[in-house]
Amino acid sequence: MIRLEHVTFSYGEDGAQGGGVQNINLNIETGQCIVLCGESGCGKTTITRLINGLIPHYYEGKMCGEVWVNGAKVSVQPLYDTARIVGSVFQNPRSQFFNVDTTSEITFGCENLGQPAQSIRERLEKTVQDFRLKQLMGRNIFQLSGGEKQKIASAGVSMMAPDVIVLDEPSSNLDAAAILDLRATLAAWKSQGKTIVVSEHRLYYLQGIADRFIYMAAGQVKKEYSAEEFEQLTAQQRADMGLRTYRLEDLLSPKALQPATKQMALRHFCFAYKNASQTLCLRDCNIPANGIVGIIGNNGAGKSTFSRCFCGLENHCGKVIWNGQSYRPKDRLNTCYMVMQDVNHQLFTETVLDEVLISMADASREAAEKILADLDLTEVIDRHPMSLSGGQKQRVAIASAIASKRAILFFDEPTSGLDYLHMKEVANVLRQVRDRGMSVYVITHDLELILDCCTDIIHFESGTIIDQFPMDGAGLEKIRSYFINKKIINAPK
Amino acid sequence: MSNKLQPKDLINLGLFTVLYFVIGCCVAIPVGFVPIFLPVLGALWSLVTGIPFMLFLTRVKKFGMVTIMGFLSGLLMGLTGMGFWGVPMGVIFGFLGDLILKSGGYKSAKKSLIGYAVFSLWMMGTYIPMYFMVEDSWANFAASFGEEYADKVMAAMPMWSMALVTGGIFVFAILGGLLGKAILKKHFAKTGIV
Amino acid sequence: MNGVSFSASIDKRKGITLDPRTKLLLLLTVTTLMLSTSNEGLMTFVKPCLSLVPFLLILSERRVKTAGKYLLLYAVCFLLERIALTTLSGLLSFTVLALTSIMTRFAPGIMTGAWLISSTTVSEFIGAMERMHITEKIIIPLSVIFRFFPTISEEYQAIRDAMKMRGIRFGGKNLLLMVEYRLVPLMVSVVKIGDELSAAALTRGMGAPIKRTNLCRIGFRFQDGVVLLFCSVCVGLFLCQQFMML
Repeated sequence: MIRLEHVTFSYGEDGAQGGGVQNINLNIETGQCIVLCGESGCGKTTITRLINGLIPHYYEGKMCGEVWVNGAKVSVQPLYDTARIVGSVFQNPRSQFFNVDTTSEITFGCENLGQPAQSIRERLEKTVQDFRLKQLMGRNIFQLSGGEKQKIASAGVSMMAPDVIVLDEPSSNLDAAAILDLRATLAAWKSQGKTIVVSEHRLYYLQGIADRFIYMAAGQVKKEYSAEEFEQLTAQQRADMGLRTYRLEDLLSPKALQPATKQMALRHFCFAYKNASQTLCLRDCNIPANGIVGIIGNNGAGKSTFSRCFCGLENHCGKVIWNGQSYRPKDRLNTCYMVMQDVNHQLFTETVLDEVLISMADASREAAEKILADLDLTEVIDRHPMSLSGGQKQRVAIASAIASKRAILFFDEPTSGLDYLHMKEVANVLRQVRDRGMSVYVITHDLELILDCCTDIIHFESGTIIDQFPMDGAGLEKIRSYFINKKIINAPK
Repeated sequence: MSNKLQPKDLINLGLFTVLYFVIGCCVAIPVGFVPIFLPVLGALWSLVTGIPFMLFLTRVKKFGMVTIMGFLSGLLMGLTGMGFWGVPMGVIFGFLGDLILKSGGYKSAKKSLIGYAVFSLWMMGTYIPMYFMVEDSWANFAASFGEEYADKVMAAMPMWSMALVTGGIFVFAILGGLLGKAILKKHFAKTGIV
Repeated sequence: MNGVSFSASIDKRKGITLDPRTKLLLLLTVTTLMLSTSNEGLMTFVKPCLSLVPFLLILSERRVKTAGKYLLLYAVCFLLERIALTTLSGLLSFTVLALTSIMTRFAPGIMTGAWLISSTTVSEFIGAMERMHITEKIIIPLSVIFRFFPTISEEYQAIRDAMKMRGIRFGGKNLLLMVEYRLVPLMVSVVKIGDELSAAALTRGMGAPIKRTNLCRIGFRFQDGVVLLFCSVCVGLFLCQQFMML
């Protein structure tokens, strides 16, 4: 049982940074699964941090009110005591593991709590079986996919056998298959009687698991729904609330999109990383150009390798023939631009304006301002790029691509961890970029984004293109069978 | 917040030590392959690592952190096979650096520069094996160039060059600290990670 | 950077199993004696023995190629050093000596260090440090360090890619700007990852004031004794020689 009583919190020394939550009163019964939903910045992550004790013990700020978990006052007791009763899974799989190898990572929590070695070993064996992790044991975590990392994190939490588990946007960086895995993990925990609190943007995978939805806005609980009540909301109502879809089927209505009319030809796209088997092998083929082309496929299917090769980041890989011209990897470095998933890596200068100016062959302030204005960045023109929001950073990266006159833009998971409105915003930007005459390619696992703006789809599997199609009626069917009628492969028992 | 080092501080400590070490190595490894550049290696190292170090100082403001960083840097140097002289040197100069920083309350800009420069002197530990080697080479040098001449050079060389290398590290560390502070102001203050 | 990452598993390990503490002692002996002594008297025999240590260790892992390369490199440098000492003269002798003596002195230590790291998991290393009663003020940062080596290399590669896409003239010939463009994004993302990592580790009980369990089975065996004996003989001979010189 979790109880929040009149909790108010704001971040920063003396609460100067703001954010946070105001006057939260919440009771969560043992064994229930609660979903916290709402737009980015609505305070749902703050609630998870209040429950696992990171607030006030890790994140500085000003707090009033009390938080109780199973009779313990987590706002007062030290974090290592809370760790015994509350387990946490976080958004970013890359930053939540402390060890380099998987086995140590799973046992990390139990070792910290000083549990006897023999009992840890026994539980490890059981956890490995339950989560079907045998393949992943004794591996280097840096070589695992996001979904595998998230699974290791969940297994580590399971090992500590907490009564309460909080998850902060756990699906943000996962592909469709891994999300189903996550769903199965949640179901298993629920059947074990654990209390689960999930803060999430993606809601569809929680169907049948969630008991209650708590809708938040501006740091306050706006409304609570039981699962049935939430189910009965129309798709439009949920969209108006700024929430992502709850039923994927709702999305599958055909839209009037203009599919790509041109094609470009690929020659000899084969690539193998050092000391690894070939990850990409494309026979000579044509792919759609001048559209918004969604690139789908499971982790390890070769999507990222393809985009890296296409953008010329790997030397010696393939030729692209487009508009009667042939582009070698070196030429493509100046023709293509990739907006990376972690866009922080590609922002270098002191101000947004500089970022655009240094990308221009002949820098002109006027032209730069025009580009920034088109992308709705006029207000932040003198800010430091790293101080902007995620969406703004993406647009700065796009602005620098436009400024350097690139014709082809790649996006790597541009909507991971975004709420409904921000996802829509990205879709709009993609359309706008396309209207400028650029060819857009989007690697994505986000069905809502695909259905909102993609005109064509390329489907990768085992290093090659197994299908490509325009997003017409038949295309929708194919998308449905890929995203919705998927089988769970590695579900924990 | 208490004055004891919390787990959060210890993680930060590890984080910045690894940044300090890797950034230093990025400069040192290509330069280190050319033997005649060896004497300026420490100076270059402390110039570049001023950037992560100044960011480090904004994050952990408790006594002992620089000492531990010195120990760990020495240990890493040892693990990469460069000899373990860095460990005692790291502890000594880290401790001195800590004292200087503490006297400025971990806030004074001037003290943080001097503290960093003093801490950087731990790099002398990596030169200790070189001195044995130089001695050895000079013995051979003597055979080739005549003993009298070599003796003269030998007598003057080690102490004189030791002072030069030490001075170089110190001066470049001050410059590196200034560089770090400039970049801190230019970037990190605006990005909210300070 | 990937070359210096710790081993991820103990199951697939080949070669001689030593306690991490023994490995550290061995590394300490090799580097200290190779780097900090002169080439006279007894050391002329001890040093080649010490330089064979990494060869044997790597060979025991059946990495024949690596072991062979090391042996070849060492032998060539060793011979050149002798030639420079005996037959060459003047500046040429000095240059050859400077190059080869760096190789012959540093290579064994570097190879032993690389072997230590690649043949030990982080948990084993940490376990060994715990057995030596080293405070968690050292152990926690040290485990963070080992975890962040690969992170830094990942982040750096991403930044290099990003720079490549921005064009070669990017940053131009301005050295300071080149350093800045690389370091600033790197430090921003590493610090961000570090903050999230701290939070995750704390929710998993890190820093609890109790004795931490370590699942690794470490302990001294017969082979540790052999290595121990070898180290003491080498150090003994060295001390013996120092004593005689007095």
